[in-house]
Amino acid sequence: MLSIIKNTICTGIIILVSSYLFSCKKYLDKKPDQRLAIPSSIQDLQSLLDNYLQVNHRDPFAGELSADDYYLTTDDFLGLNEVERNMYTWGKSNLFAPGIDNDWARCYNNVNRANQVLLNIDKIERLPNDGAGWNNAKGHALFLRARSFLFVVSLWSAAYDMASASTDPGIPLRLNPDFNEASTRASVQQSYDQVIADLKQSISLLPDISLHTIRPSKAAAMGTLARTYLWMRNYDSCFKYADLCLQLKSDLKDYNELSALSTFPFSGLQYSNPEDIVNFSITGPPASLNPSRAKIDSGLYQSYDTNDLRREIFFRTNTGVNTGTFAFKGSYAGNSVLYDGIATNEIWLMRAECYARSGNKVAALLDLNTLLIKRWNNTVPYIPITAIDAREALDKILMERRKELVMRGLRWMDIKRLNKEGANITLQRNVNNQGYTLVPNDKKYALPIPDDVISLSGMQQNER
Amino acid sequence: MQKIFLLLLISFFVALQATGQDQNNAIKLNGRVLSTDQKPIAGATLSSKLHGTEASSDDDGNFSIQLLPGTDTLIISHIGFLQKRLPLNQTTNSSLIIVMERSSLELEEVMVSTGIEKIPKERATGSFALINNKLFNEQVGTGVLNRLQSITNGYTSFPLRNTGDNLSVVRGLSTLSVNIAKPLIILDNFEYQGDINNINPNDVENITFLKDAAAGSIWGAKAANGVIVITTKKGLLNQPVKVELNTNLTIADKPDLFYSKNISSGDFIDLEKYLFSEGYYNSMLPYPEYYPLSPVVNLLDKANRGIISDSEADAGINAFRSQDVRKEYEKYFYKNSVNQQYAISLSGGTKNLAWILSGGFDKNSSELNARYNRVNMRFDNTYVPFKNLEINSSVYYTQSKTTAGRPAVGSISAMGGAIAPYTLFADENGNPLPVYTTYNPSYLDTAGGGRLLDWRYFPLDDYKHISNQTNIENLNAVLGIRYKVFTGFSIDIKYRYQSQHTETEYLQGQGSFATRNLINSFSQLTPGSVIYKIPKGDILDLSNSYTNSQNLRSQLNFSKQWHTHEIVALAGSEISESVNKNNYYRTYGHNRDILTYVDVDYTNTYPILPYRSNGFIPNSSGFGKRNNRFVSFYANGAYTYKTRYTLSASARRDASNAFGVKTNDKWKPLWSTGVSWEISNEPFYKLQLLYYLRLKMTYGYQGNIDPAKVALTTIRYSNINPLTLTPYSVVDNFYNPELKWEQVSMLNTAVEWASKNRRLSGSFEYYEKKMADLYAATRIESTMGIGFATMVRNAGKMKGRGFDIELNSINIDRKFRWATHFIFNTYKDKVLKLKNPSTLLGSDIAGSTGFTGLEGYSPFVYFAYQWAGLDPATGDPQGYLDRQVSKDYGAITYEGTKFSDLKYIGSQFPRIFGSLGNSFSWRNFSLNIRVIYKFNYYFRRESINYRSLVNQSIGHSDYSLRWQKPGDELSTTVPSFIYPVNNSRNSFYLNSEILATKADHIRLQYINISYDLNKQVFKKLPFSQATLYVVSNNLGIIWKANEFGIDPDYNNNNIPPAKSIAVGLRISL
Repeated sequence: MLSIIKNTICTGIIILVSSYLFSCKKYLDKKPDQRLAIPSSIQDLQSLLDNYLQVNHRDPFAGELSADDYYLTTDDFLGLNEVERNMYTWGKSNLFAPGIDNDWARCYNNVNRANQVLLNIDKIERLPNDGAGWNNAKGHALFLRARSFLFVVSLWSAAYDMASASTDPGIPLRLNPDFNEASTRASVQQSYDQVIADLKQSISLLPDISLHTIRPSKAAAMGTLARTYLWMRNYDSCFKYADLCLQLKSDLKDYNELSALSTFPFSGLQYSNPEDIVNFSITGPPASLNPSRAKIDSGLYQSYDTNDLRREIFFRTNTGVNTGTFAFKGSYAGNSVLYDGIATNEIWLMRAECYARSGNKVAALLDLNTLLIKRWNNTVPYIPITAIDAREALDKILMERRKELVMRGLRWMDIKRLNKEGANITLQRNVNNQGYTLVPNDKKYALPIPDDVISLSGMQQNER
Repeated sequence: MQKIFLLLLISFFVALQATGQDQNNAIKLNGRVLSTDQKPIAGATLSSKLHGTEASSDDDGNFSIQLLPGTDTLIISHIGFLQKRLPLNQTTNSSLIIVMERSSLELEEVMVSTGIEKIPKERATGSFALINNKLFNEQVGTGVLNRLQSITNGYTSFPLRNTGDNLSVVRGLSTLSVNIAKPLIILDNFEYQGDINNINPNDVENITFLKDAAAGSIWGAKAANGVIVITTKKGLLNQPVKVELNTNLTIADKPDLFYSKNISSGDFIDLEKYLFSEGYYNSMLPYPEYYPLSPVVNLLDKANRGIISDSEADAGINAFRSQDVRKEYEKYFYKNSVNQQYAISLSGGTKNLAWILSGGFDKNSSELNARYNRVNMRFDNTYVPFKNLEINSSVYYTQSKTTAGRPAVGSISAMGGAIAPYTLFADENGNPLPVYTTYNPSYLDTAGGGRLLDWRYFPLDDYKHISNQTNIENLNAVLGIRYKVFTGFSIDIKYRYQSQHTETEYLQGQGSFATRNLINSFSQLTPGSVIYKIPKGDILDLSNSYTNSQNLRSQLNFSKQWHTHEIVALAGSEISESVNKNNYYRTYGHNRDILTYVDVDYTNTYPILPYRSNGFIPNSSGFGKRNNRFVSFYANGAYTYKTRYTLSASARRDASNAFGVKTNDKWKPLWSTGVSWEISNEPFYKLQLLYYLRLKMTYGYQGNIDPAKVALTTIRYSNINPLTLTPYSVVDNFYNPELKWEQVSMLNTAVEWASKNRRLSGSFEYYEKKMADLYAATRIESTMGIGFATMVRNAGKMKGRGFDIELNSINIDRKFRWATHFIFNTYKDKVLKLKNPSTLLGSDIAGSTGFTGLEGYSPFVYFAYQWAGLDPATGDPQGYLDRQVSKDYGAITYEGTKFSDLKYIGSQFPRIFGSLGNSFSWRNFSLNIRVIYKFNYYFRRESINYRSLVNQSIGHSDYSLRWQKPGDELSTTVPSFIYPVNNSRNSFYLNSEILATKADHIRLQYINISYDLNKQVFKKLPFSQATLYVVSNNLGIIWKANEFGIDPDYNNNNIPPAKSIAVGLRISL
């Protein structure tokens, strides 16, 4: 009896100990968290890009905050934090909170996301049965990277000028996700070249129609490329891609179908607006851009005809202590968040502008009237806009662009590029008994890079 | 009592076996000498009183002695044990078991457990702190750990500046990461992976702290923060059935809610009036759906719009001035807390079976009427079927149920801030009053045209509609076999299975504001009907978490004694796996009575009231599974020569499945070595004053891991994108091939000494530790785009050193006995290296709320902006910029302040700490008083934060001390209030040296008074012994360095627990 037990125990121990040794490696190969995955499939990579709350709804607001679509009362201005106050008055420094909760960090967060995908996608075999998925993920990443770079170069560099672009300081072009690599600034020319290259490649990869407008499509990439060329004042190329884009999608929403009485007239259309090509919105909104504070320039409000539906659909007449001022309620996001994706109305206006600049008055006005009739009260006859020549047509198109694309995050870059064309737009702020002026082509049109980024990376700061 | 039983038992055996003995011949008596904890005693001398024959016991405690027949007395003696006299009548050669007791109280506890083995303390080279049963039970409580900080040499806690939570550490910090700074907890032999509150303190026999590398490195990569070994009570062989009962009742007062320094209602109202006149609310008033605004602001607005007259408004406002929301909390939500504890244990042992069966029941009701019920059941037995084989099995089962109570002070908040300090929860008749925390009453008056559910919030009733319950079930079972293969060698195999199931049921009834709010928000109002996209009914959130861990350990032990040599060694391996699964989900439209729910549409957006923006119905469902595997090999040995020189060594290798780490990096050998020299045992040693003197020195390595850290890029799936219906994810870990485990080395030197009769004894230890490869957050430039401002890397190096001194004295030892236990600890540490520190701005250091990680300073160093007083003309705080007095706060709190401009304050961790316990006894009374002290450290005092005051309605009573007119600067240091608020000015003041406050204090921790009843005194007692005890806890501070009435352990708006008193009775049958 005793020896049987003895032998059993000894054998047991030998088996146990030896089995540890042999199975050890396999035993330790188990992954610790089943929700953790090394990105190794198309689904893994696509899932990074489908994080729509991070990818689509955290666009920079510095441009809109610095531009002149709105103004603040002194009371509201004084209630803001310092960073926003500095940005509103085009201050010298401290325009961005340090850390990751600022426009710079949010843009580069998407750059990193895109780079994580681009680094890994070439390691994944492109299978014939999932070729579309592979193309979509790569095209999506390229689109996202280009779009983020475009924001950064529009905010933190001077307006594109062919004469000086190769020497003007551009932006850090981070092309892989390795955080050990230092950041350095490329030139403005290199920055735009990178945006264009990424977008062109994405056009070849993205589908004509995406699963949802929260994901980019060919039209989205073409629209973004047209926007890029417009900002570079390369109107031929802008025309080319705006035109290609409209061939894929040109729908316009008839505003007669909307209710101007709604708190937010586009609330039911956040993801189903026929004009939406790709859906993005600005972070927040920050306190200053909240409709409870941001007041619309009354001159701008008065410039809408009373039969122009946009007057009532875009704007709310403030009451109480704010009587006599107007608030914006016409965001395509359908709430107080500002939509800044690509929509067909922007493309129609880009093509109209390019036609006008190339002297084609008729085509320019045709595009403009196609858009505006959808904004006109259909119980009153629409009188098409006319012009003596292409020059006048261009002025009218730019005026309508201002009115149509109010609070869309486009005004700041429009001021920058139009001043390069000699528009001579001078910005004025009056707040707290003090006046602030921003003259055309001022160095302050290139915002200061967040101070902590400069001190950690040693990059060159913009002169102010 | 026990002694008497043993003697009786032995005599019984002896008597039994003596019959039938041939009286004519010398007889041989065989037996075994054991200590009370069943360890064999080697070298015990046995002698016959009448005939002078002698023998001694061998390694296993076995002996054999020749005796002459007839009545005799056997005398058994051994150093360190009480001499034993055993009357012999007629004896046989049957095996006699002699149990010897240690010779003094202090020596009684000399066995220390590492969880892997038990070693006699006098042969251990490592640093151990022992909490014996008596000391442990001087305090009363539901949990095991709370009471240890005040009685353990080298274990303390300090509040973290950012959260106010207390962090308990052994010998200071060994890591820079708070989340992995906790000591490893071992229950008997295995890491306890369940909720530590499961363990019933009545099941605890003693607790051992493993403080240095030699003691703890046997636990390898998890031991760097120190190890706490909890040893449970065990049954003993050859012991009659023993029954012990313990019951106590603890009652605590309501906590002092007025301890927190809040702005007075009057001051707050005046401020609101001022802000109103400045137009601060102008951007909010037109949007009643966004901004609830306070009652005063709403009255001012009504007066402003002519709805009510100014005098009506003033009357309404002035009525608020005398109100204080804390009174409301105190009146309606707080009560005395009552904790009840009942425990019973039965134990016993026969020749080959020792067993204990215990049960416990705890029933607590907190000051907020939160309930906690716990049931414990434990069965532990050791079976010795035949010589050399020992089978141990134990099952420990715990079930607990926690039910959340009423809202705690400050927990009711409004959109973007606190509710006004004059808020009332009930009218004078006790009827609930609504509090507007989310929407303005003027919005609710018209919202939905009366077709929505009541949208008001009544704090007085709301909690009654919410039920939040957590049930925990835990089973911890161990099966162990120990087999002596042949002399000196034994094999141990132990298997442990632990499973814990935690179930949380959070039901927000339809009557609760949260549920009504959600239902209303998603109501679609159409002419003539209301469509509820979220159905009416309760919202139920259920979550389940299952942890299963299994360990299998096999170990070979070797022990041999020959001549003057002794070797004790072991080698073993352990394989373990811990699997955690969890899932959580929500149901809407839940009906408690018939257990039904209603499906909702998670895939479409709906306009949400009141903003009419579109949104998805909140979905909270998910699954998770974690799996941690370890494979470890370890060995440990000690060699003792001439009982005075001991050399020890240990080594352990751990491997884990930390995801993606290269196999090479998975292995981390950790080792230690130690020596000890008992000088007092040397022939030349003659010092009588230090009758016992031993020197020890150890050195070795321990590790620390963070299971959440992996080295490869990984993504984590978070949810389904409701638009594309595809899963989405975030990058969870960024590729970092350099990721390693933290490594801590420690050098420990110690002196242990005692006077001849142990009237005085103590230990003096000095340690130095070096911590390398510490995980530390290093700043990452945001262009890297990782989405975090910092990145955790193996970037830190730190060193620490300190003294652990312990003194025991018996000051008076007559009828009246007075003994003192004194603990004195010092600790000092500094960061040696941290990557990327040069870019830290001075302002980051002054504003830091946690580890600053500054090379050359303690990780918890406290620096502040230099203070140049208040500006006599304006009351502005003044600092320094380029050594000039300055008010350029933007520059001071950002780039303008260099590190050298900061004022060094000191450490936020106590540099000196410890406790003093005095025990008095007279006849059957005894009294124990414990005082703890913490010295030489600082905390940042809270003061008025004007930004929080204006934006979030969170005010501090320092507001009333603010500078208001020239001359005030002579009597106050609180800056004037300015509007608009300047954030930089604010943060300069809050992080300036003027608020740095000395935290030193002495606290009366507990008083224990007890009265013993026993049969010797009270002959008619129905039980052998009973102790009646009264313990009072949280008695407060005796002395503190600060003059502001602040208890440094409860800063940051934490309220100290109220004084409590416990009455209890312990009975042995």
